Amino acid sequence: MPIHSLLDATVVNTANNYFPIGVQLLFAAGFVATMLIMSALLGPKRKTSDKLANFESGIEITGNARQPMAIKYFLVAILFVLFDVEVIFFYPYAVNFRELGWAGFGAVAMFVGFFIVGFTYIIKKGALIWED
Amino acid sequence: MGTTQLLFWLLSALSIFSAMMVLISKNPVHSVLWLVLVFFTISGHYILLNAQFLFIVNLIVYAGAIMVLFLFVIMLMNLNKDAEPQKSIWMKLAGAISGGSLLLIFVSVVRSASEMQSKQALLKTGNIGLIDQLGKTLFSEYVIPFEISSVLFLSAMVGAVAIGKKH
Amino acid sequence: MNAIILSAIFGVVLMMASAFVSNRSLYKTIALACLVLLVGANIAETLGYSFFTIDTHNMLAFNKMGLFFNTICFTATLLYVFISSSEIERVDNYTAEYFALIFFSLCGIAILTSFNNLLMMFLGIEIMSIPLYILTGSDKRNLKSNEAALKYFLMGSFSTGILLLGIAFIYGATGSFGLESIKVGTLQMQLSILEVTGCILLLIAFAFKVSAAPFHFWTPDVYDGAPSVFTSFMASIIKVAGFYAFVKLFESRIETTSFATNPAVGVNWHLLFAILIIATLFVGNITAVFQQSVKRMLAYSSIAQAGFMLFALFSVNAFSKEGLYLYAAGYCLATIGIFAVLVRMKDYTFEGFNGLAKHEPTLAFATTVCLLSLAGIPLTVGFFAKYFMLAAVVKQGYAWLAIVGVLFAGVSIYYYFRVIAAMYFKSADENPAAVATSSTVKIGLAVVVAGIIILGVWPHALLNFLYF
Repeated sequence: MPIHSLLDATVVNTANNYFPIGVQLLFAAGFVATMLIMSALLGPKRKTSDKLANFESGIEITGNARQPMAIKYFLVAILFVLFDVEVIFFYPYAVNFRELGWAGFGAVAMFVGFFIVGFTYIIKKGALIWED
Repeated sequence: MGTTQLLFWLLSALSIFSAMMVLISKNPVHSVLWLVLVFFTISGHYILLNAQFLFIVNLIVYAGAIMVLFLFVIMLMNLNKDAEPQKSIWMKLAGAISGGSLLLIFVSVVRSASEMQSKQALLKTGNIGLIDQLGKTLFSEYVIPFEISSVLFLSAMVGAVAIGKKH
Repeated sequence: MNAIILSAIFGVVLMMASAFVSNRSLYKTIALACLVLLVGANIAETLGYSFFTIDTHNMLAFNKMGLFFNTICFTATLLYVFISSSEIERVDNYTAEYFALIFFSLCGIAILTSFNNLLMMFLGIEIMSIPLYILTGSDKRNLKSNEAALKYFLMGSFSTGILLLGIAFIYGATGSFGLESIKVGTLQMQLSILEVTGCILLLIAFAFKVSAAPFHFWTPDVYDGAPSVFTSFMASIIKVAGFYAFVKLFESRIETTSFATNPAVGVNWHLLFAILIIATLFVGNITAVFQQSVKRMLAYSSIAQAGFMLFALFSVNAFSKEGLYLYAAGYCLATIGIFAVLVRMKDYTFEGFNGLAKHEPTLAFATTVCLLSLAGIPLTVGFFAKYFMLAAVVKQGYAWLAIVGVLFAGVSIYYYFRVIAAMYFKSADENPAAVATSSTVKIGLAVVVAGIIILGVWPHALLNFLYF
């Protein structure tokens, strides 16, 4: 691929444009991998039992970290996913905002209306209140 | 073999390998991480098909949000005990045989279908998967399913509150 | 369109009621009022008064048959809510949410009776099922309910995956999601193996949803684990709606993809359906005989009844069409009736029904009528429903299959009569019912019994609506 196409802002709709992103990804992953391997190879190592213990701010480890977590984290997470998906639908609308006109606006407004109803419900029910 | 074909085979091999690792891994957290890799490779395929919107949506929603949900589910579980029941060898064998036959059927169907022969996938170019085309179709032809899907979201919201919230 | 939009809006109304109305006894009044309005709006659309004119791009097609099926489902839901609203209130604190979920489920049903596009069918199935997963798990402190919900959800998503794969295959073959274009496409050219595979996958997914053997394994656990009020809803209204969609999807497809029209690559649908029907009848009836719990027996009996409803797919003709409507109405009535009694019992085993006739004669009588209808005894609607189904098969020229059906119906009489025998011929000192029967329940059960007997004597009271 000729390098000048990177500067050509008008060409936006082929997969070639993702080539730089791919290169950057490779670089990022490669850099992290190299650094990890190098530090493992070059760094000094003293493997005493104290050194290998999990670090808990200098205090001795008590108990087990693997305990079931409260369900309220999950509730927040699932509500986040729902609204995340809602926002995803805005991208294709935003790109076509002018062309779709009032019909498109009506469609999106109705969709958002349903979500606002859902949001009101969630707030009123106190689903996002942490302390209970 | 051009770059695209090379990338295609690389991504396919990687996605199938990581999908298998999702199943093979004993540790559920490792499974989730392999699943993230599956989503990334599938997103790579979307790029090859020039479906750029699907690429980013797949990353944001699946590799981002849904995977967080998966991790939360794992954290909800009690992983201390090694309580996973071991399936008998016959069960595994039966599963492997039936799954394998299904795979064979699918492969032979796709290979022998007249629609699939002498057809080439639209690689790198084509406007169908671009965000503006997708938006136009979504908000004109497919506007009814789009609106109706909001009912699905509402029932998910109600369900999440009814199941997950203490009264 | 009335039904789809209004059921969604009524669901929202109940959500809002949950958020803003603190008087919990109002919820069921609101739900009942909304259901009456929904039935009314749907009948209005049947008569030609559509409140909304929306260009659906041919994704939904409303016809009288579908709208009439909506009416059956909505009326059955109205009856169900009328009888069991006090039980729904007792499940947990989220009464209004449960009603909202029922309305969303009805929205899914309204889509399933009118889809003209595989995409809409998928959406309809999801909108119908997702509220059910939640209703199944609504008894949060009961481990069995949790297990049932998870099992239902996982199995349901798995079958949805198969459904989507099937749709993808069909899309790959025809390049369209529409039901009509598929029909035209297949008539013109050689049928594609891709489409056949897609059809088989769709068949598997639907067999899963309507719990036809060998895809029935989730049914007993889910029906048993879910709170009994919601089992009633799942086993009646949802089940028949699933069947309607099943028939609607396949009736046009069977013609074009059958062995007879396309000998090169065709599906021998009759053989496939015959296997499915016999397996379902066998598993449902034979396993039901060995159950100790009435609730579990009803779960297996619902599988057995699914076998009979599958006859409507085996033979697509006027008889089977009428039979499906009659079956839907009769099966809903009987299931709602018997579950309304079941939720009142202390003990769900057969012994738990001992002496019910002495202590609660009304409940016992209603149960008897419902069970007789499920068994297909004459003078109940169940008889005519089974009769129409079998007549359709005989008309198609498969008398042996009808004989198999009759034999299994004979088996079913055994386990239905076990309940009747326990109620009338065995005695118990204590009242087997845990809750006193309110007058609302009595009125509801009277309607159920009246419906079963009126339709059993005069089935055209229902069927005439198909042709006016």
